[in-house]
Amino acid sequence: MNTGKYTDIPDQELLEKFYTDRNNEWLGILLQRYTLLLLGVCMKYLKNEEDARDSVQQVFLKVIQELHKYKVDYFKSWLYMVAKNHCLMKLRDRQGKIPAELTEKMSATPAEETDTRTLLQNDHTFELMETALRELSAEQQQCVTLFYLQKRSYQEISEATGFTLLQVKSYIQNGKRNMKIWIEKKIQEESNR
Amino acid sequence: MPDNLKDILSHLSTEIDQETLLLYLQQKLSDEKRHEVERKLLDNAFAGDALEGLREIKDQQQISHIVEMLNRDLKKKTEKKRQRREKMKLKDQPWIYISVLIIILLIILSFIVIQRMLRP
Repeated sequence: MNTGKYTDIPDQELLEKFYTDRNNEWLGILLQRYTLLLLGVCMKYLKNEEDARDSVQQVFLKVIQELHKYKVDYFKSWLYMVAKNHCLMKLRDRQGKIPAELTEKMSATPAEETDTRTLLQNDHTFELMETALRELSAEQQQCVTLFYLQKRSYQEISEATGFTLLQVKSYIQNGKRNMKIWIEKKIQEESNR
Repeated sequence: MPDNLKDILSHLSTEIDQETLLLYLQQKLSDEKRHEVERKLLDNAFAGDALEGLREIKDQQQISHIVEMLNRDLKKKTEKKRQRREKMKLKDQPWIYISVLIIILLIILSFIVIQRMLRP
């Protein structure tokens, strides 16, 4: 099977093909799309290249086995969860405890994306955004403006402001989150009136 | 209100292909493209986590090689199972049974004919 010709097929369609004929090669094509991400995630939590490589292979095996047992709707989110859980088990075996970072709620799940879409469907949201931006701290406001409105990269923002790359990322992430919370609160307040 | 303001809450397209992520890691992207990847990374927790981990790999040039090895191993695993299944399928092919039966019948017939010819 030539895997190159399947690059344009969405994940869901590949998964459907697998559920139709149970040919593991579909899973091979699908998983190859995520090898780099899996390696990165395993490396982030395990902090060891060899363990990360082994873990990616173990995650591959687990995914192949599990998909034969039940149907998965959101493959990417599910795969991310499988990889994180695998690392969690590894760390538990290694250290006997779970790092706090791993017990955090997973972000950008389909449910969260749906929430944001609902928010975006509300025309009033955009009217509130300018005010929400002004409500942010000076640093967050500066980084969010440079990033989203002037389309600058982290590196450019870092050079322009003197913040480190990590600070830039953090100000943008927190600024965005604070804007969303502020807008949701305002919409809620207005609907309660 | 600037149109770009909408981008702050919008994350409809957060997909980043592996090749682009690698180029981003190797700092081989233009400022515009870098911005685009970073915007997607903010809304893509999987890729965001991965990027943090990939940055911890000592020899960044080795990343592509490691991925290639892992993909090769994955391909072996998925192909092997298919071949095994195909072998199983082969056993289910009726023409094999029919051919074997015909050969056995031919041998028996030949044996009978030879026996008769050898009789005085």
